[in-house]
Amino acid sequence: MGEPLLTTEKLSNHFGMVCTARDLDLRIERGVLTSIIGPNGAGKSTLINLLTGHLPVQAGKIRFQGREITRLPIHKRVRLGICRSFQIVNVFPELTVAQNVMIPVLARTGRSWRAFRGLSRETAALGETEAFLEKVGLLKERDTPATALSHGDLRLLEVGVALAAAPTLLFLDEPTAGMNPVERVRLLDNIRELAREGRTTFVVVEHDMDVVFSLSERIIVLHRGEILCDGTPESVRADARVREVYLGDDVSDLFRYREE
Amino acid sequence: MKAETRNACAAAAVLLALCAVPFLVGKFTIYLAIRIMLLGIFAVGYNLLLGQTGLLSFGHGAFYAAGAYGLGFFGLHVSGNPLLGVAAGVAVAVLLAVLVGYLCVRHTEIYFAMLTLAFGMMVFSLIWNAREITGGDDGLIGIMRSPVSFFGLFQIPIGTDRQFYYLVLAFFALSVWAAHRIRQSPFGLALAGIRENARRSEFAGVPVRRYRLAVFALSGAFAGLAGSLETLLESNARPFMAHWTHSAEPVLVSLLGGLSSLAGPLVGSAIFVAMREIIQRFTENWMLGFGIVLLVIIMGFRGGVMGTLSGLFRKPSAREEG
Repeated sequence: MGEPLLTTEKLSNHFGMVCTARDLDLRIERGVLTSIIGPNGAGKSTLINLLTGHLPVQAGKIRFQGREITRLPIHKRVRLGICRSFQIVNVFPELTVAQNVMIPVLARTGRSWRAFRGLSRETAALGETEAFLEKVGLLKERDTPATALSHGDLRLLEVGVALAAAPTLLFLDEPTAGMNPVERVRLLDNIRELAREGRTTFVVVEHDMDVVFSLSERIIVLHRGEILCDGTPESVRADARVREVYLGDDVSDLFRYREE
Repeated sequence: MKAETRNACAAAAVLLALCAVPFLVGKFTIYLAIRIMLLGIFAVGYNLLLGQTGLLSFGHGAFYAAGAYGLGFFGLHVSGNPLLGVAAGVAVAVLLAVLVGYLCVRHTEIYFAMLTLAFGMMVFSLIWNAREITGGDDGLIGIMRSPVSFFGLFQIPIGTDRQFYYLVLAFFALSVWAAHRIRQSPFGLALAGIRENARRSEFAGVPVRRYRLAVFALSGAFAGLAGSLETLLESNARPFMAHWTHSAEPVLVSLLGGLSSLAGPLVGSAIFVAMREIIQRFTENWMLGFGIVLLVIIMGFRGGVMGTLSGLFRKPSAREEG
């Protein structure tokens, strides 16, 4: 087992009578590309929302790099190094691609409080912004308003904005949803390469099983708010309970090709 | 780059023209020009909140009044120095804005708007009722326009409206320049991000509430500046400066001129003051006439007067299809 980056202790969440997280004891390791899968309603999104601060924790504890962050507001978690992308594109629509990426870059370096200095003079931030755009392949669109981007490019921007916060731990919520195959391959190659660089640990929530099994080093299967199975892709593929859940409940999910 | 140079030239030309105004027109027009600039200071600061950050406040009259009464009390009890008085007025306005803002910025949209309205009207009734201190409905009267002096080094009289005009022009130019710098800064970008998507801003590491509070206080400072200058102009501070109808003025002029540009609220201020003056010649019910004009502009000019004009001047090739 590697170094734990984030751990949870009996993390629980209920929406009325529906339990979306039940006493979850989770351990995310540094540098291990992890996927979280599970049938619809398994609690994948809830888990990300709890870990990133989107939802208040009802019970249990979250620790990040040894520090308890259970009640920390979102922006403080981001500053510590936890960030996420969204399943439904959630960028700054009227701003240009470069401005979208620049907001987290400036915030991270504490430069967004500068109120009397022209943006054009923030050369370090501009350089960093371009590097991130280059990484996700949007450099040629830098001055395009986000609203004018194609769906695939928007998804790339979504990931780009998350990456620009330079997180230690990055949750990607269905990063390839609605992408065409070419864009999908490009994005996955990107993620693999960034993961190899080692600065960011990726945790991916995906529906597309091709993506999950080709990308991950570790897979966590959630079912009704509990961890059903946790291990290497091979062991998860061979796990009888996983088969049962997917075959019994929602067979289409396992091999479904997402179309949005 | 080209657009920047063009804007700088336009700004310089307008400033030159404003410098020449007192030599070209009569007393009353000078007075109107001062009123336009005061409303312009108020609105250009207010638009940092509304246009840049996307927060609609109906309580900024309170900070205007705080600036006015701040200068008034300072002038009556401490020192008649107008620069110190303006500084005092702005300080009081910022203090009040931080206090009110702290309680308001945890809410957004209609809740934020209603809270600011409530606090604004609280300030109004406080001023209205605390007769012994504020003069109640009479306002604070007898505030003098002493000469501007700087540690006794020099003295510039501002007694006549023509002289006072240049003081207001100086503050006006400073305010517009400051608002311009803020809009172009990293801080301004963070504010735009909050307007576009507050939740995502948090996930970009921006402490959204603190930024909202900062820009709220900042716009309060502009309001306080305008209020303190109006007290010098009229030699009194009136409770109706804090009334919600006055708080609505920067909203109206921002809509009139256009929310998305720096010049929008300024153009809107000019239209507002000029139109009120013209319509009042014909009818007591100037709000009725003004309402109709506002209706036409909001329905006919998308993005305000400036938004429509810049759309006209943009090259057809740059215009987007669909």
